[in-house]
Amino acid sequence: MIAAEGHYEDKLGHLATLTSTPTHYCAGCEHGTLTRLIASALDELDLREKTVLVDSVGCSVFAHDYLNVDAIQAPHGRAPAVMAGIKRMRPDLTVFAVQGDGDAVSIGLLELVYAAVRGEPITIFLVNNAIYGMTGGQMAPTTPVGMVTTTTPRGREAALAGPPLDASKLIASLDGPAYVKRVLLPVTPTPSPEVFNARGALEGARAVRNAFRVQQMGGFAFVEFVSTCSINWKMSILESKRYATDVLAKIFPPGLFKDRFGVEQR
Amino acid sequence: MSAAAEFLKGNEALALGALKTGLNAYFAYPITPSSEIPETLATEFGKPEWPDFKVFLQAASELEAINMVMGAAATGAKVMTATSGPGFSLKQEGLSFASSMELPMLIVDVNRAGPGLGNLGPEQTDYFQATRGGGHGGYPNIVLAPSSVPEMASLPSLGFSLAFRYRNPVIILADAFLGQLKEDLVFPEVPTERFDVSWATTGARGAERHILSSLHLDYGEQNRFHEHLEAKAEEIARLEQRAETYRTEDAEVVLIAYGICGRLCRRAVGMLREKGIRAGLVRPITVSPFPRKELGTLVERGVRNFMVVELNMGQMVEDVRLAIGGRARIELVHRTGGLLPSYLDIVQRAEEISR
Amino acid sequence: MAQVVRPEIEKCRVEVDAERCKGCNLCVVVCPQRNLKLSTGLNPKGYHPVVFHYHGEKGDCTACGLCYWVCPDFAIASVSRWKP
Repeated sequence: MIAAEGHYEDKLGHLATLTSTPTHYCAGCEHGTLTRLIASALDELDLREKTVLVDSVGCSVFAHDYLNVDAIQAPHGRAPAVMAGIKRMRPDLTVFAVQGDGDAVSIGLLELVYAAVRGEPITIFLVNNAIYGMTGGQMAPTTPVGMVTTTTPRGREAALAGPPLDASKLIASLDGPAYVKRVLLPVTPTPSPEVFNARGALEGARAVRNAFRVQQMGGFAFVEFVSTCSINWKMSILESKRYATDVLAKIFPPGLFKDRFGVEQR
Repeated sequence: MSAAAEFLKGNEALALGALKTGLNAYFAYPITPSSEIPETLATEFGKPEWPDFKVFLQAASELEAINMVMGAAATGAKVMTATSGPGFSLKQEGLSFASSMELPMLIVDVNRAGPGLGNLGPEQTDYFQATRGGGHGGYPNIVLAPSSVPEMASLPSLGFSLAFRYRNPVIILADAFLGQLKEDLVFPEVPTERFDVSWATTGARGAERHILSSLHLDYGEQNRFHEHLEAKAEEIARLEQRAETYRTEDAEVVLIAYGICGRLCRRAVGMLREKGIRAGLVRPITVSPFPRKELGTLVERGVRNFMVVELNMGQMVEDVRLAIGGRARIELVHRTGGLLPSYLDIVQRAEEISR
Repeated sequence: MAQVVRPEIEKCRVEVDAERCKGCNLCVVVCPQRNLKLSTGLNPKGYHPVVFHYHGEKGDCTACGLCYWVCPDFAIASVSRWKP
């Protein structure tokens, strides 16, 4: 037998911005997917050595273990302020954070809003899975009314806690931001029970890339990823993808809320 | 700035003194009686004599401000922020994180009456909070206490020097009186120091990257981290105690006071000397590390009467007790509410104990 | 003259890092050709890792890359095409 001449060429493969550390994320968690999308974008834009990641608090706290960039930790909710401090001092650096819904929309809402108000040229990725994951499944500002969590064992009540908060709508209502987008990141069900659609990941890849490009153009970029938390929602992985599609995406519809530089057209 | 004398408020002097050390960034939030600091810096921002002053930003809260300070400090910059009691409380979370990530920065607390809103008068009630560390977790505290407008101008330089040498936040603990007091001063020439910031997060270099983290999930690692901080605190305590001594060489009663009380006691020592009482003054310039060596020396020399004068219900006096132990008598003259003890109070009490 | 038998070249290949796989099944359900399946065996972490087959139920792998993008654990290490 003669071996055929040729070789396998990677179409998609090793990313310089990804470390080789196995992730701590639960099986099927969109944090992992997002990490890959970020690494790919930073590789593509050749930004790895000019980037500083600000770790937030939540499941995202270990982000620097997986992303091969300089990193500094922020206290819970304060990442946008820490990012602003870095960026103001060193406008040549690319600065970004991955925040959960508790970090960005609850304890950190002031820091998030003011970074947006001032239009700080930073990039924020919000992983909105409508619950507090790292601490074991308590109510989040984005938890839907009626959802059972460890601090709302009878379901979230609007009379007590108000309705869930739409972060993208809030941020887009300000004049400061240049790019506000919401993506439904999980795989989505199809009529066939064993077949799911991966469109969310592809859209997410585009949104992440655009969000970094917007920063390079001097604008504040905010991308909300509607995600899942199968463990704390007490669902199977695929059930959680259905819940995200059927329930969460109705409360937090995906869309482009602001695109001042028209990056989506380019 | 020329070498001529200027007549400035303490807060203004501190702001200009920080600029002279090559301040890079200031993140502001106004609070009486410290607001002249950000106001002065806002006015000076952009002037050609301050080429290193790259960032002035008013934050939405003291909490946002301290976190911006942390971010800028992570790039290796000289960063400062100032506040008073309620804002100082808000900054404690940031101080804990900054201390854990070993970030140099200058935090100014212009101590007003407290707790809560208190009033706008001077107190020294933040002493415990500043010297023991008001943030969670244990970490080294470097706290400088100016006592005059010239010292408000000169301590930022020492502050940054210590902050970068030890990679630790430094607190300048002033008070409302000093902040508002106007005095003549001549700014000393301050050589701009360049510090080793090889640890800064300014982008990975090939395989090398810097991670500033306060999380040590491995218990052994966390334990070792505390030992590292402890070693740092011990070195600071060994090398950086500073105090001004005034007429203590032959003193039989020694006053101990910092800040505006240090000024009062200096005058009181003169008044006591006129009455034939050999009084002296130890004025801590570092309240943390507390100048125990100086006090120990005095006790060994035979001084048996000490009198602490402070604007609280008794905070620094505990550090004096720790330093001196049961070896001498320690009296306390104190006043709160924004009031100052009168010279009469101080002199009379010192007279009493010297008999 | 000996017969030369050329082995059939698999035009696309998906490299799976079985140790990283947590058996979440996402790549399995998104693959348009059904080239990926959870194995019955266990990896050191106790998960059933995914296994790649060039000939899937619905067709051959086209290196579309959906598995790569969707995998949260980077267990889909690479998607490659044969270059003659």
